[in-house]
Amino acid sequence: MIAQPIARRLVALIPVLFGISLLVFVLNALALGDPARAMLGQRGDPELIAQIRQEYALDRPLWVQYATWMGRLLRGNLGRSYHQQRPVSEVIAERFPATFKLAVAATLIAVTAGLLMGIAAALRPGSALDHLLMGAAVIGISTPVFWLGLMLSLFFAVWLGWLPVSGYGDGAFANLVLPALTLGALHTGTIARMTRSSLLEVVRQDYVQAARAKGLGEATVIGKHALKNALIPVVTVVGIGLADLLVGAPLTETVFAWPGLGRMLVAAVGQRDLPVVMGAVLVFAVIYVLGSLLVDLAYLVIDPRTRRD
Amino acid sequence: MSAHRVLLLLTLAFALALPAPAAAQKKGGTLRAAFGSDPPTLDPAQATDTTSSAVIRQIFDTLVELDAMLQPVPALAERWGVSTDQRVYTFTLRRGVRFHHGREMRAADVKSSFERAAKGKRPWVFEKIVGAREFLRGQVAEIRGIRPLNDWTVEITLERPFAPFLSLMAYDAAAIVPREEAARLGVEFATRPVGTGAFRFVSWRRDDQVVLEAFSGHFRGAPHLDRIVFRIIPAEITRFNEYKTGNLEWSEIPTGHCRAVQGDPILKPEWAIWPILGTHAVRFNVERPPFSDRRLRLAVAHAIEPRAIVGGLLEGCVVEGKGILPPAMPGFNPGVGGPRFDRVEARRLLAEAGFPGGRGLGPVTFHYNTSDLNQRIAELLQSQLKEIGITLELRRLDWAAHIKLVDEGRAPFFRQGWIADYPDPENFLAVLFHSRNVGAAGNTSRYRNPALDRLLDEADGMAPGPARFKRYQQAEQMVLTDAVWISLYHYTSRALIKPYVKGLERSPLSSAPEFLAPLRKVWLDK
Repeated sequence: MIAQPIARRLVALIPVLFGISLLVFVLNALALGDPARAMLGQRGDPELIAQIRQEYALDRPLWVQYATWMGRLLRGNLGRSYHQQRPVSEVIAERFPATFKLAVAATLIAVTAGLLMGIAAALRPGSALDHLLMGAAVIGISTPVFWLGLMLSLFFAVWLGWLPVSGYGDGAFANLVLPALTLGALHTGTIARMTRSSLLEVVRQDYVQAARAKGLGEATVIGKHALKNALIPVVTVVGIGLADLLVGAPLTETVFAWPGLGRMLVAAVGQRDLPVVMGAVLVFAVIYVLGSLLVDLAYLVIDPRTRRD
Repeated sequence: MSAHRVLLLLTLAFALALPAPAAAQKKGGTLRAAFGSDPPTLDPAQATDTTSSAVIRQIFDTLVELDAMLQPVPALAERWGVSTDQRVYTFTLRRGVRFHHGREMRAADVKSSFERAAKGKRPWVFEKIVGAREFLRGQVAEIRGIRPLNDWTVEITLERPFAPFLSLMAYDAAAIVPREEAARLGVEFATRPVGTGAFRFVSWRRDDQVVLEAFSGHFRGAPHLDRIVFRIIPAEITRFNEYKTGNLEWSEIPTGHCRAVQGDPILKPEWAIWPILGTHAVRFNVERPPFSDRRLRLAVAHAIEPRAIVGGLLEGCVVEGKGILPPAMPGFNPGVGGPRFDRVEARRLLAEAGFPGGRGLGPVTFHYNTSDLNQRIAELLQSQLKEIGITLELRRLDWAAHIKLVDEGRAPFFRQGWIADYPDPENFLAVLFHSRNVGAAGNTSRYRNPALDRLLDEADGMAPGPARFKRYQQAEQMVLTDAVWISLYHYTSRALIKPYVKGLERSPLSSAPEFLAPLRKVWLDK
């Protein structure tokens, strides 16, 4: 029953990835700048520029370049980085663990904190606690990631000395805390606000009133009956939030010198390292689509009515 | 900053760089430094940036190196001789020099290293050697001007005399690599480098850190430090915070913090500033209207007030631009002078060019590459030129796009900085203004002046000395008088260095955080 929607989604992924790859390629072609020139620093030798363009087939028509890239991709080859002269798959694989770790940690923080804040606010609507939590949520959503990261770093690392200022630190947990908090904050506020409004809507419904009338405790009413239904829109927000998280990652990675895919992508765009840009964007797109797929699967688990569709 | 202050800073920088008595030097410890970006490569043949060079210079050696006074001193070559016609250099190699993998270095490694590097990203380092051009075009299999006479002697013949040749031999593109390892590893040599340097490569986690360790078999003996960790920290403010928390031995002072650091009682004793070999300028495309008209270029030059940029935006922590050559460059002429800030003269010239009060000129596009400082400078230039009636339209692009427009002559008026690769006026004046270098090779003004070309050619071929410098000074004045280039300021390196870091050379070729000086001389007094 679940296999069919999964298969449908995976098949739908193919045109999406094709469209994205074409779009990125065209945008890159429209952007000014020459990868061969960008490789040579302040002093470019015209003969050498021409030689590099020939070596990387940059002198060939755009459609030939795209077809060549696509041909390689169909054989599972993402090409070689112009700048690093290494396979793109190797370049991405090297950075992926750091990005994955950061994304998972930020999502866990956002979901846990967001749900708790939303539930606490919904239990006392209009109270001082509600205003405080929702105010914090708005601040979390509207605070620039770069600024928040710097402030957290200044407070917890520079002044208090509790956590490292930056770096991957051989994967130590302490190094993950501040980047994950920074990235997670962006998402926490959205989840908190959605949980609150969704829960407030659900608790007004008849079946929740009936549960209360039966004499069930408030914790059971909220935890067992209301929350499950209130979670459906929240799950959607988590799925959409994954995209925000990926967009926010390059800035967080820059502030905390975190060696992730986001920083790599930004550098590759600056260097006009097209194979790396294409590879990284495809990875982001796959993650995004798989994230949406997980959201759909979560619907099937949370709400049995969706299985009939 | 006045010229006197610059000289004082230079003297102070060199004095601070003097080594401590041998008995006082301590062994051991890890030096922690940070770069703003990942080095693209650790292969001397492929590097084009200072981040890569800063690591490469620790792993590899060159035949000669430049001391803190920028003078060539022996390195892998224990001595050298130059023929009377200044074309043939004979290097006698030091015996017993070993690569990190154990093999002894021989003269054949010099030939193979140079031929390999000539096919790399900086062919211009070798192009003056006899037969190099044919080799680069693939017409011959070797550079015939590089001849190992025996295992310990190499003779290099130039097409014509070239005074800065020894400086080129000290450049990291001319590092000596073991030919069999370079061949065996191929492109992977860039990530697993093997040299003869005082430090050997240990690990490199991209965008995170590069680790080197002391090479006990170095021909000068093991360095003082046990390890060097170069961390990659892209945000300037994060590097500064890492320094303040004691996690880095040095850091550059973030833009806009120069005065604050000088006023901070804790950081002030760790503050260091010294001039380096770079100039920030604005240039014109003199090939196309409207700036093909010298009067208009002069009007713009007279309307720009570099002092406002130096004193205001850069807090007086750089040297105001007068000439093209930076004050720390050998051959610098303190008496050089271009058009001075004079709005009355600017308005007069603008009218003479046919645009009284700027009427009829239309908006002029000013191109610059993305950075907050460049943006603020552009806005200041916009307001200064508005005073004489010129409307500047600002166009900000990332570096790759900016350099393409500039190289192709599609930017009429643009920002360009230049940092010397080696300490010789030729590396500024011939590269930036000789007609053979029009376009990407350096002459982005597309300036063609046969009299200047002759002067530069003559100076390039002369023996080192005051007479040669005199020619460059004449050439510099010629360019300034023609208002092809307007210097805004000369770069300085602004750094914070922990007081226990000793032996760090603050040479004009070294700019924090990418010190190009040999770190084998550094030791930690703690």
